[in-house]
Amino acid sequence: MENRKDAAEPLAPAGRNVIIVEFQGHIRNPILVVESKLEKSMPAEQLLDDNVLLEELRKGSSEAVEALFERFHGKIYGLAMSILKNESDAEEATQDVFLTVFQKAHTFKGNSALYSWIYRICVNACLMRLRGKRRQETVSIEEFMPVFTDEGMHKSPVEDWSKEVERKMLDKELGKVIKKFTDELSEKYRVVFVLSDVEGLSNEETAQILGLTVPAVKSRLHRARLYLREQLGRYLQEGKTA
Amino acid sequence: MNCKELVYLLGEYIDGSMEEQLRSDLDDHISMCDSCTNFMVTYDRTRLISRQVQLDEIPGEFRERLRSFLADKAREHHQGIEKYRKMAAEEQRKQVEALLRAFREGRLSPSLSLLFDSHRDRCEKCGAFLRSLNGGEETKPVPPEIEEHLAEFFEALPPGEEPFRS
Repeated sequence: MENRKDAAEPLAPAGRNVIIVEFQGHIRNPILVVESKLEKSMPAEQLLDDNVLLEELRKGSSEAVEALFERFHGKIYGLAMSILKNESDAEEATQDVFLTVFQKAHTFKGNSALYSWIYRICVNACLMRLRGKRRQETVSIEEFMPVFTDEGMHKSPVEDWSKEVERKMLDKELGKVIKKFTDELSEKYRVVFVLSDVEGLSNEETAQILGLTVPAVKSRLHRARLYLREQLGRYLQEGKTA
Repeated sequence: MNCKELVYLLGEYIDGSMEEQLRSDLDDHISMCDSCTNFMVTYDRTRLISRQVQLDEIPGEFRERLRSFLADKAREHHQGIEKYRKMAAEEQRKQVEALLRAFREGRLSPSLSLLFDSHRDRCEKCGAFLRSLNGGEETKPVPPEIEEHLAEFFEALPPGEEPFRS
């Protein structure tokens, strides 16, 4: 009896609690967590859970601050840059977003996902910065909308370049070209496009983040895609003739 | 259904939110119109390849600067909260101390007296503690749970009523 107990005893220092935590999904093996009674520290894996992360943030855990930073700094900066298109503005906005998240961690209700709450804070921080600034020069989206005859037919025949696009360009190059085109759009279309088609959020999530209705998101997204389709088509056509 | 209408409705056609009748009208048009077939295919391809866009990467120097700035700020913020919590706890402790002193000296306001009596009968822990005070006996440390209960008496005080008689 004694021996069996000894064999099962995990190697833990006396006076400490030992908890076995099993994670589902990408971490296969159960992880042995030795929790000190004196200095409590949260294992990084647990901080992947939104609720645990927020709870730890509220308590002021420095590991939680680090985990939040690691998880979101790239996305927040990228999103800020795609709205503001200016490095120093994007840096300031990114910093503001994190400070707001710390200060408002206790107000997060969990009605939406954590990332969607943070994206919303980010969009608001960026729009605050855009306010009062002169609108950046952008292309007129109307020039790229499809053209029809009075009878509602395509004015000129539409070609299928969908197979060509990946034959001609590497993914990375393709990404750059699309980014260049969408950077020329006004921020009203760009931000919807980035959240929905680049980040892959649902229309409902995008609407919630931007404070728009779902039909408004759909209509902006549709126009952004029509614009981009036309730009890509022209780009490929020009490439072909060159 | 013509090409213009089809293009207008393409977003809903592709995301699957379109109602069946309209969808079949669109299908009919697409099956007869090469331009619309090509338009739809290139529209959908545009949507799919947009996932290749890489958002701007955060500059390394800024990332590290931000990391340490946030660590400092979070610490400051936490210290601020802790300081406030300590102040609030200290305030509550003093309030309850004053309350118990007034109780021993029979200076509680009428409402507080009532609250005290009814709570003493209802709450086992507080009741035992309050009875152990034995009237005029000197101050005793108040267990946290009992302190919480007693502090709530102040919340229940009718507006304008002073808690103690001088």
